[in-house]
Amino acid sequence: MIRYIIRRVLWAILVLLIVVFLTYMIFFLLPSGDPAVRLAGKNQTPQLLAQIRQQFGLDHPWYVQYFLFLRHAFFGDQYGWPGLGLSFTLKIPLKGIIFSRVAVTAQLALGAAIVWLVSGISIGILAALRPHTFADRTAMGLAILAISMPVFFLGPLALYIFWFKLHWLPGTGYYPLARYGLGPWFSHWILPWCVLAVLYAAFYARLTRSNLMETMNEDYIRTARAKGLPEKRVVLKHGLRAGLTPIVTVFGLDLAALLGGAIITESIFNLPGIGQLTVQAVGGQDLNTIAVITLVAAVFVVVANLVVDILYAVLDPRVRYD
Amino acid sequence: MQRKRWVVGLAVVASFAVLATACSSGSSTGGGGATGSPTPGGTYRTATQTLSNTSNFDPTGEYYGYAWAIFQNLLIRGLYNNNHVPGDEGNTPQPDLVTDSKISSDGLTYEFTIRDDVTWGPPLDRTLTAGDVEYAFERINDSALAAYYGNYYCGVIKGMTCSETSIHPVSGIDVPDDTHITFHLESPTGDFLYRLAMPATYPQPKEVAGCFESAGGYGSNLVSSGAYMYFGSDKLDISGGCKSLKPVAGMNPDKGMTIVRNPNFDPATEDPAMYSNYLDGLQIEINSNVDDIFQKIQAGELDGSFADTPPPTVEQEYATNPDLQQFIHSDPGDRTWYITMNLLAPPFDDPAVRKAVQFVVDKAALVKGYGGSLHADIATTVDPPSVLPATADYNPYPSEGGAGDVNAAMDQMKQSKYDTNADGQCDAPECTFLLLSSNTTPWTNMNPILVQDLAKIGLKAQLSEVKPDVVNAQAITVKKLVPMTFGQGWAKDFGSPYGFDFFVFNGTTISCTGSYDEGLLGMTEEQAKECDVLDEYNAAIQNYPDHKLPSIDDKMAQCVALAGEEQQTCYAEMNKVNMEEGMTWVPWAWGKNLVITSPTVTQYVYDQNAGDPAWAHIAVNNGLAPENVA
Repeated sequence: MIRYIIRRVLWAILVLLIVVFLTYMIFFLLPSGDPAVRLAGKNQTPQLLAQIRQQFGLDHPWYVQYFLFLRHAFFGDQYGWPGLGLSFTLKIPLKGIIFSRVAVTAQLALGAAIVWLVSGISIGILAALRPHTFADRTAMGLAILAISMPVFFLGPLALYIFWFKLHWLPGTGYYPLARYGLGPWFSHWILPWCVLAVLYAAFYARLTRSNLMETMNEDYIRTARAKGLPEKRVVLKHGLRAGLTPIVTVFGLDLAALLGGAIITESIFNLPGIGQLTVQAVGGQDLNTIAVITLVAAVFVVVANLVVDILYAVLDPRVRYD
Repeated sequence: MQRKRWVVGLAVVASFAVLATACSSGSSTGGGGATGSPTPGGTYRTATQTLSNTSNFDPTGEYYGYAWAIFQNLLIRGLYNNNHVPGDEGNTPQPDLVTDSKISSDGLTYEFTIRDDVTWGPPLDRTLTAGDVEYAFERINDSALAAYYGNYYCGVIKGMTCSETSIHPVSGIDVPDDTHITFHLESPTGDFLYRLAMPATYPQPKEVAGCFESAGGYGSNLVSSGAYMYFGSDKLDISGGCKSLKPVAGMNPDKGMTIVRNPNFDPATEDPAMYSNYLDGLQIEINSNVDDIFQKIQAGELDGSFADTPPPTVEQEYATNPDLQQFIHSDPGDRTWYITMNLLAPPFDDPAVRKAVQFVVDKAALVKGYGGSLHADIATTVDPPSVLPATADYNPYPSEGGAGDVNAAMDQMKQSKYDTNADGQCDAPECTFLLLSSNTTPWTNMNPILVQDLAKIGLKAQLSEVKPDVVNAQAITVKKLVPMTFGQGWAKDFGSPYGFDFFVFNGTTISCTGSYDEGLLGMTEEQAKECDVLDEYNAAIQNYPDHKLPSIDDKMAQCVALAGEEQQTCYAEMNKVNMEEGMTWVPWAWGKNLVITSPTVTQYVYDQNAGDPAWAHIAVNNGLAPENVA
């Protein structure tokens, strides 16, 4: 197992290097031209252009910029470790921005994950245990409806109904726990968590239902029942363990992808997370910010992949890697 | 003492003038949006999608209009400022720190006496001096600090080149004592006072600003000289010199900005015509959701919009509902929207074709497509009327309702070499050309209108819709020789025509990688050679009897040396040459600034110079104390 983990970590580092390399390539091949020209505004004197290029490290060829980016990321820069440089558009160090935004995105992703795991798996189990009943059909019908409603539709709708019209919940924005206390913090998260979780919950409900139904038809479940085990134990100990194993894989990757930024949810609910920063950085063609976000998102996905693979081996004794 | 009494007396009269102006012409809709009498107190809460900037709000390099509005209305003050009101008065520089001035008869020396009773905000708490003014110019002169509009001073003030590699005294600026400063100019510059009203020239304290040797650093540590300061400025630690400085709490362009009153600002000694200072604070929060911003204004959670255009449904509701009309404010933005034509790119190398295009464009339809009269007025010339009042009624290409004059256009086209049978239709192969435009709304709705207009005289535009920044990047790269672009706008830097025209029409600004003179007006043979377009240049000059591209450079140099009415007349003549001989632009709209406020705003005033709300005169009645949103 140790050898497997080391091998996977090395692969993960290679993947990260390639991802950032491709990001740099794509940016420099874009037709928008020299970032210094865009940053210089109207007064495009050679001195100003040279100064801007020097300030943002654009006076080197792109491949040198790529290696400098990596060197700073691993060994730090004038703003500390990890060295993430400056935002082209905001002109302030990215380190603080990224850390504060990852914290917001993590709260969104983890909160939504709890909502969709609890609701999605519960509904899936209930539907699997009472297949083809009214409850099952209703649950699966609602799941299809939820999957069909994208966040960019559901988010504004929820805001309009629950904030603007009914005044049941507060509007958008991020209210940090440390500054505003539990009540405002929690109330401002309810809508984003629920809206983001709807799609996933529906998907997890369907996944849980189908996996569990398949598992419950396995021979060893019949054997467990034949042995006289109580139905509760058959379901929870034997059925769910095998039935939920694929969920772990999907969950790890879903959560990791969200930690890289829930772009639409963060934009609609005005949450200063990685997703919102992504929109701003792409809009402003802020190469350094785009590269850093790509790196952060890739780290989450790669690490999550690794964790999931290891967990999978732990959960399913049939899976072994060495 | 006598001067102050006179100033206070004048101030009382002027403050009434401000209010009268605000209520009469501050908004083309809504009559100023006042819902009560302005009273001190409360906090104006607003939000915007991004606080992007050019230099992290460091006055030396900051170039965005909304940042200038915040600087000039609230945070810092200079030798000159403006009264933060609409119209011509708003664009006219007024003395702020200056108490006395003397301009030499040759226009080469400007001597100023400045106030001795202005104190820097906390934590500096010392008297502002003429040395602080000079230091601002030393910073402009240091190339490391990337002064975005240093061209207005370098080459103008003796000793300033904008290419120093560190801070040095400027030989053309004398500071004999703490209250006197003298500028020696290279040549007469009639609009020099306008340039002294720009934020980069506002005094900066060496103790703090000197700690930052690269662009943008000082912005997060800005010390106030104005009526307001960043929230937390008083906590700025200067005890340990540069090492102890940390960004102030109230300024984070990633999250927002909170501005509170500066305790060292004494309203009793100030002119309320310039500084009413009703607000206790200003909060600008980043909000990625434009719909949400306007919903919050409607719900009373915000007091007004900032830099974002309202969604069409919201705009329509405010524009058509009589109860809401007073809350929508549409004011001239001193911005011109234009179509470019490249002097080196056929068929626009032929002046007859350019003139035909001037006639054929249906500007009324374009303005309608752009959003109508709340967003823009039909433009008849390049300079907006508030920048060059002398040409307010000038319209060299008239048509019924601004809808274009096809017959006049065809008459012009008949004179072109590209109309081989003189039937008013462009029919040469060169008549098919690239039209580069934006792929975002409203441009995508308007592009077909322009293509159809051009087709009326046989011009076959091959429309290419790309991202707005790609349009810009392609258009300013000389070698690309983009024949025609659409969807671009230009705003003034200061309220004199030089501050509008210089970058876009002066051939000396042509830079191969970034020429905002996109039509290449005034390009020289040397520039053509340098930018690798010499063949096209040599072909284009054959269209002119003197074998030179049209240019207004000499006229501009002549005008800038003049002052007052004489200068206005000169610029009006220059504008005529530009519109009738140069014709690199088809100006089709003068843009407006659109702001929506909530009923909590008891007085809304527009700052013509900044093209933004006049924070120094706006009042709210929400009774809220400022809360840090940064």
